Amino acid sequence: MTMSGDGPAGGSQVALVTGGYDHTIKLWQAHSGVCLRTMQHPDSQVNDLEINPSGQMVAACGYQHIRMYDLASANPDPIINFDGVTKNVSRVGFQENGQWMYTGGEDCTARIWDLRAGRQFQCQRIFQVPAPVNAVVLHPDQSQIMVGGQSGIIHIWDLKTDHNEQLIPEAEASIQDIAIDPEGKLMACVNNKGNCYVWSLGGSPPRPVPKKHIQAHSKYALRCNFSLDSTMLVTTSGDCSAKVWNTKDWTLKRELRHDTQRWVWDAAFTIDSRYLFTGSSDSYARLWDLEKGTLEREYCGHQKPITALAFRDQAV
Amino acid sequence: MATYDNKAWLLKNIRDAFIATDDTGLCEIVMAGEDFSKIFQTKAIEEKKRMKNRIINRPSTSKGRDSFAEDDERDIATLFDPYPDMEDSDEDPMYGSWFRHEEFGGHRQRSNTAQWLDKKELALKKAAKIKVVKWEEPYPQLTEDQKAEAFKKVEVKRPQKQKSLLTEQLEKCPDLPHRQYLEYAKFDGTAQLGLPTKVFKIFMTTVPEKHQNYPVIVCVIASAKIKDLIGFTCYKYSIEHPDITLGSVHDYGLCIAEDDGEVDWAFPCLDNNEPCSKFGFTCLGLIDTKQKDKIIQVTTPIPDIDMGHSVFCFPKAPDSGQSNINSTKQHTGGSDTSEIMKAMYSVTEGKGLGFQSGPPLTDAPQDKLYRVQLLHKVRASTPVQLCITLDQIEVVPLVTQKHAFWSRPKYFLHSMNSVAWCQILEAKSNKTSFRIVYSPSHDTAFNDSYTAGNSSAFQATAIYKKHDFECDHDTARRIVDKVNTILDLRNSPCRREYKNTKEKKLHTRRSFHTKQLKS
Repeated sequence: MTMSGDGPAGGSQVALVTGGYDHTIKLWQAHSGVCLRTMQHPDSQVNDLEINPSGQMVAACGYQHIRMYDLASANPDPIINFDGVTKNVSRVGFQENGQWMYTGGEDCTARIWDLRAGRQFQCQRIFQVPAPVNAVVLHPDQSQIMVGGQSGIIHIWDLKTDHNEQLIPEAEASIQDIAIDPEGKLMACVNNKGNCYVWSLGGSPPRPVPKKHIQAHSKYALRCNFSLDSTMLVTTSGDCSAKVWNTKDWTLKRELRHDTQRWVWDAAFTIDSRYLFTGSSDSYARLWDLEKGTLEREYCGHQKPITALAFRDQAV
Repeated sequence: MATYDNKAWLLKNIRDAFIATDDTGLCEIVMAGEDFSKIFQTKAIEEKKRMKNRIINRPSTSKGRDSFAEDDERDIATLFDPYPDMEDSDEDPMYGSWFRHEEFGGHRQRSNTAQWLDKKELALKKAAKIKVVKWEEPYPQLTEDQKAEAFKKVEVKRPQKQKSLLTEQLEKCPDLPHRQYLEYAKFDGTAQLGLPTKVFKIFMTTVPEKHQNYPVIVCVIASAKIKDLIGFTCYKYSIEHPDITLGSVHDYGLCIAEDDGEVDWAFPCLDNNEPCSKFGFTCLGLIDTKQKDKIIQVTTPIPDIDMGHSVFCFPKAPDSGQSNINSTKQHTGGSDTSEIMKAMYSVTEGKGLGFQSGPPLTDAPQDKLYRVQLLHKVRASTPVQLCITLDQIEVVPLVTQKHAFWSRPKYFLHSMNSVAWCQILEAKSNKTSFRIVYSPSHDTAFNDSYTAGNSSAFQATAIYKKHDFECDHDTARRIVDKVNTILDLRNSPCRREYKNTKEKKLHTRRSFHTKQLKS
């Protein structure tokens, strides 16, 4: 068994990336828990991380910047720096072919950045909302973006028609995160009261229909995410736990807690939906076996809270 | 500078002034761009001319025209003037920048500036490698075709069930030797931004010898404590060598070591609760504290002796003998003490005695006191305390007969450099006698009267003297072994000469013997 030097470029495409308040981004060898590389994210915490569709780069967003890092090289510095946003960028994501990137931030906008090489025209777009944006997610059909934020409104922005629709799940609560399942049939959001709302998107015409309200956490909720097989939804919170819910009957499958675990900021499933990564304020990332409910790995190396993580698995 | 709101002046100032620090990079943009101050200046001149003409040509009261003629052109302030009040102020804009230089005078720290420039250059080089994509305001209108092309709606497929590579890897790698040290991983100093770090070379003395050739190079954050450094070293080592099992962090200590990995066992371990930043050493040895305790029962710092106070064969008053015994503990060391100690450790380490098995050859390099009988030719033996250190042998009489003048025991101090030989003479039923041979002429270090010049004269006719002692078998064996080890290590000229003479004697005897046989 070799535990060093087997990075994502070295044959394996499995990559776990974490970032946080210590202004660094770490690339881990997920199965051993060894930190392979540390990248610099100067002047800002990391609000969100996303590995691009090719798996070659990771995008990190923070204050005024979205930076792209090469996962295959040893370069600790970003290779592309997206500039020109005046405030915190809270979320980043990619179109499935990597043609464009979407972001949302505290400047009350959602943006689309053109990443195409040799483009005929520029496809940048900007979508203005009345309040700072906390959550942006792309529908798997690649043509709608959900934008949620401080105002508690979810805007459904249709990229083709520029038409937008609004949802207000709860008054006087800010939307913290939005997730859509890979099949495009469920949409979930969590808010600062710890509540989780679920809509069904599968109807015809495809409009969101309220499906479920879960009092997921007693405190501030931070993230929600569906597993690839759509059978589970994870919600993370300031109550120091991550909770995994069965989407079939919305029962609690696992409550993931640890003595030293503090706020859980982010979570990601493996493609077989068996394991879950979490990142916490105690500066540890953890890997949980969801079948057994056991803690399998811990990833230690950050000096300060981990606020974002990205995981890319590989099918075998 | 932020208090000025005149753009023209700001641009000019950035250009003319000696900018010492500007992290924003704005100044560079100004410097690299067009010289706006010049453009403004020419524009200002033109504007003034125009205004002047306008005023001159303007139909006005008589006063206006006359007064203007007297006035200087400068009185007309234009939009393009660098700073309207500047000429009135003490600071002449023409020499503004020059005065700034003057402030630094001839004593400006060139090296600091150079350093800063280097840093800046490095940062620029770094920045040059980063592609910057500025947000471009979107075209107001994207055609329907363009929208359809860029934001095509795709059919959502149900994701297939997939096997995860990670799951497979986890099954293959269940055992994680470094996991017990995981909490120390956060002290990793590599790629820390803005945190001071320290790099150490750590020699692992606890691992099998074949793995000891290379030190582990660890970089930790400077605020990490020594115990954290130990933990992080174990963490790093167990990742690199998963096949080697290390023990608990609490069993280990860090000792000062040399570049080549020789650990100074004589020093106590660094305090586990002190931050690394406190220590200046960069080479350290990771040791098992239990092993260290076995090797060194008494840890005494290497004392430095004041040579001037050492006495050679100083006859002690019997009364003061007792107090002298106590003071002997301080009497070790010459300038080469640590050298010898190192050599000594290398011997013990090399033979693998001190660390892995059995008692070391020399159980303690420190002072060791033995109570033995000093034998005399004619009279009865007297009890003495024999103190053997790496640098000297001290014979301190233990007084029994205070009043017997004729048997007043003598105090001897021999530098190890003057000791030539040590051997067991005779083993009786309950006692063993042994001999230490020394040469007073080689005791230069301890006797100032011998200068380099005449000492060689002395060496030519070296006189060897001896002390014979007696004690129980075990002690005698230990003393002889110890002295011989030290002598071998030092291999002083005195010892070499003595050996040579001895061998010559043997040789002549032998040759005599063979001659006899031949004849």
